[in-house]
Amino acid sequence: MAALMNENAIAGKPARVRLAGSDLLGVAIVIAAAIAGYFLFPNNLALLTRIISIALLVLSLDLVTGYCGVATLGHAALYGAGAYAAGMAAVHFGITDPLAMMAVGILAGTAAGLLSGVIVLRAHGLPQLVLSIAIVHLFHEAANKASSWTGGSDGLASIAPDPLLGLFEFDLWSRTAYVFGVVLLLVVLIVLRLVVRSPFGMLCRGIKEDPIRIRAMGASVHGTIMRMYAISGAVAGVGGALNAISTQVVGLDSLSFTLSAEALVMLVLGGTGSLYGALIGTVSFLWFEDIVSAANPFHWLTIVGALLILVVLFAPRGLYGTASAFLERRQEARR
Amino acid sequence: MRRIIMAALAAVSLGGMAHADTIKVGVIGPFSGPFALQGKNFKAGIDAYMAMHGDTVGDDKVEIIYRDVPAPDPAQSKALAQELIIKEGVQYLTGFYFTPDAMAVTPLLTQGNVPMVIMNAATSAIVTKSPFVVRTSFTLWQTSTPIAQVARDKGVDKVMSVVSDYGPGVDAENAFKAAFTAAGGTVVEAIRMPLSTNDFSPIMQRIRDSGAQAVFAFLPSGPTTLGFVKAYNQNGLKEAGIQFFAPGDLTQESDLPALGDTALGILTTFHYSVAHDSPENKAFVEAASRAIGNPAELSFPAVGAFDGMHVIYKMIEATDGEQDAQKAVDAVKGLAWESPRGPVEIDPESRHITENIYLREVAKSDDGTYYNKEIQTFEKQGDPGLAAAN
Amino acid sequence: MQTVLSIAVDALAYGMVLFVISIGLSVTMGLMRVVNLAHGAFAMIGGYIASYAARDLGVGYGVAVLIAVFGTILIAIPIERLLYRRIYGAPELTQVLMTIGITFCIIGIANFVFGPTLKTIPLPPELQGSINLGFRAVATHRLFAILCGLVVAGALWYLIEKTAFGVKLRASVDNAAMAAALGVRTQIVYAVSFAIAIGLAAFGGVVGAELLPVEPYYALRYMVTFLVVVSIGGAGSIPGALLACLLLGGIDTTGRYLMPEFGEFFFYLAVIAIVCVFPRGLAGRAK
Repeated sequence: MAALMNENAIAGKPARVRLAGSDLLGVAIVIAAAIAGYFLFPNNLALLTRIISIALLVLSLDLVTGYCGVATLGHAALYGAGAYAAGMAAVHFGITDPLAMMAVGILAGTAAGLLSGVIVLRAHGLPQLVLSIAIVHLFHEAANKASSWTGGSDGLASIAPDPLLGLFEFDLWSRTAYVFGVVLLLVVLIVLRLVVRSPFGMLCRGIKEDPIRIRAMGASVHGTIMRMYAISGAVAGVGGALNAISTQVVGLDSLSFTLSAEALVMLVLGGTGSLYGALIGTVSFLWFEDIVSAANPFHWLTIVGALLILVVLFAPRGLYGTASAFLERRQEARR
Repeated sequence: MRRIIMAALAAVSLGGMAHADTIKVGVIGPFSGPFALQGKNFKAGIDAYMAMHGDTVGDDKVEIIYRDVPAPDPAQSKALAQELIIKEGVQYLTGFYFTPDAMAVTPLLTQGNVPMVIMNAATSAIVTKSPFVVRTSFTLWQTSTPIAQVARDKGVDKVMSVVSDYGPGVDAENAFKAAFTAAGGTVVEAIRMPLSTNDFSPIMQRIRDSGAQAVFAFLPSGPTTLGFVKAYNQNGLKEAGIQFFAPGDLTQESDLPALGDTALGILTTFHYSVAHDSPENKAFVEAASRAIGNPAELSFPAVGAFDGMHVIYKMIEATDGEQDAQKAVDAVKGLAWESPRGPVEIDPESRHITENIYLREVAKSDDGTYYNKEIQTFEKQGDPGLAAAN
Repeated sequence: MQTVLSIAVDALAYGMVLFVISIGLSVTMGLMRVVNLAHGAFAMIGGYIASYAARDLGVGYGVAVLIAVFGTILIAIPIERLLYRRIYGAPELTQVLMTIGITFCIIGIANFVFGPTLKTIPLPPELQGSINLGFRAVATHRLFAILCGLVVAGALWYLIEKTAFGVKLRASVDNAAMAAALGVRTQIVYAVSFAIAIGLAAFGGVVGAELLPVEPYYALRYMVTFLVVVSIGGAGSIPGALLACLLLGGIDTTGRYLMPEFGEFFFYLAVIAIVCVFPRGLAGRAK
């Protein structure tokens, strides 16, 4: 898809129509999958909601890693900031309207994104990775320390969101949370499609390929990535707030290195640099994990490890990246 | 919407009645990852109970379904609990090693009409989150309070408290401080170290410099404990006569072979020692050892699980296999029995377990293995943590 | 003064243990350009083998160390041929995915084979107990670890800078195609240096086991520490890694001594500060 998009961008106007078409198709597929999920797994909506929440984190990670080439193992800091902000707004300030909680989460995510952006962009490569690790640990430690606000390691409990729009309660079946999550995901997806296709998105891609040339062109590398970091923070904030609203407990795991690393694994699994890759990576990783860990709760980690190895061996560009490259080749061969 | 839910609920409870022949019990715990040992102990306790008491209650067959939450992760715990309640139709939820995982599930209990029996998670407040929570383990307040008196009895006036900086550690510190100060001692310094600490030499140096006569410590069982106890020995604190007091997590049986001689003489208070001398415990240890495979891996979560199953069996008996959380929980309020750890009772008010707390010393047996030797009993200890929170 | 000396001794000991364990990773990441997150897993395998050899077979400590080092290399050879060879030169993220996968597998297998309990490696009587330095006692084993660190650092430096193999290795790293054209058998050079890195991991796992006890989750628990140390030092540089270990050991120890409550803050803020001042690591080469 990524390559296809570049091609279209070069081809100019006629292609743009086709592109809008493929966008609609993508959104339609996501909607269809969401509806299918609702009816095929009516008893697993909590899991599906969790997948959506994590998918938002992975999408957010894709924005900085896949589109800007920033290496980070600390992206959960943004997600956790959103989750804790939404949770604390509900517990300590009585803001229990889900939409208001969501807004608080987005703001906090954006702020955390800007903060980590400022620090992470001070270096490149491995040292950059280390900076991101340091950030997520600092966030984690801060949340652990401020236990009167965050509940510390016991988790921030008793988050009680009001019914959504005053009508739909967050219930045992997670129906409301799921529909809420799907709508949020769609909105985010559409907005992000516009963002990554905009001149700004193209600039980010350019920076990933060759920052020196972009700088020579007169664009600000740092400023551009910072803006992307803010957007990424907002998206992660949506995911975090969704987690706080649907789970009603926020734990330190939402700010952990482990979650950051898992998000990166899911992203690479799906394929970096494309929004659908991020979605497919998340869904397949978590779904696979759920199945194998239910089948054998004691030794499933080995099987997940084997899956990751197999993917690298047989789909080195990620599930989606390799599949779309394959389809493209077929198309070209037909031409 | 509400009507749909009620209808669905009715359908679920009807379904429960129709299939009264199999009663499903969902267990959520850490069965892989860094805490896999504790999850393994859950399973051993459950298997031991079912091996000794059969897998049927009346005409109803009991089926256990395990779900894995490797590290504290409330979102995953909640998702799995929902799946267990709705999809698998479990009538009881149990397990729960970590507090946040249990906290995340409590809001589901009323709507799901499911009682929750906590086999480990040790923060006092969980039982207050839902009327359907029963706990068969311990709280840090419960196990850390008596050791303060022990320290005073040993003639210690000044203690330094060193705990890992997370919920249970803070609980242990507060419990010890409260009890030790009340008994007339002084806590000269209290430090909380990050959970990720590997090198404890600097901490030991600080303990020496503080001029305390003894150290009170709490760390989660596992690798950190090993490092801490080793550092205590290697930095000459033991030789200097600085005594070591701790709740029993530090000397859990599965860590003792690794700790070896370095642990000898450490005084801990805890609710259960695998070496507890009673016929009930002998039978339990035998069955649980068989279930776990390697007897050296047997540790305290197993007894929490064993008694948790006892409570669940009593609940099934009382409800005759029907799904009725209120009736089930009411039936075990005040339930008293002889557990492998000694006499216990479910406190009708708090639904937490009242149990003996034992003072133990790590000792070496004739065949060269190490064990926690019980040397003093504090009878019928409730949970002081709930009172302290109010 | 005593306090300062005391902190210095602890810092040196901790830093050198870190060095012994992570220097192998510096070799794989810096010289072979593989982000080998499975490094800790190999250190863990070394620890398990040593523990098994010393406890169950009853061999001496020295022999156990040797068995561990060569045993781990033996286990690693097929893994290198089948898996690592596919990711030399692949994008870093692909390497991350592959090596995390390998780590998961090894953790699962270790948990299955050895069980989830802690494993210790019994020390010989000479290394047990502690030595009194006048102002305080230090575990003999710590002094042994310091010694091991110095020997490893010296030997590696000699190997890379002074021997023919070192020349070939550096040539292959800088330009594999050119080196091959000049008659360097790069595949063999890579295989040998991989073996050395793994051997060092196993050695570190055994020597460091007193501080970082061996258990199945070892591989992930300390991954971050290793990664931070190597990156701060500048991957591939032995003096850099040594300096980073001593510096970070010092910061960590001082933080834990002076304000244990905020030890974590102290450490990671220092890490951020160091990276900001040395964005390529302490001894990193410009690309």
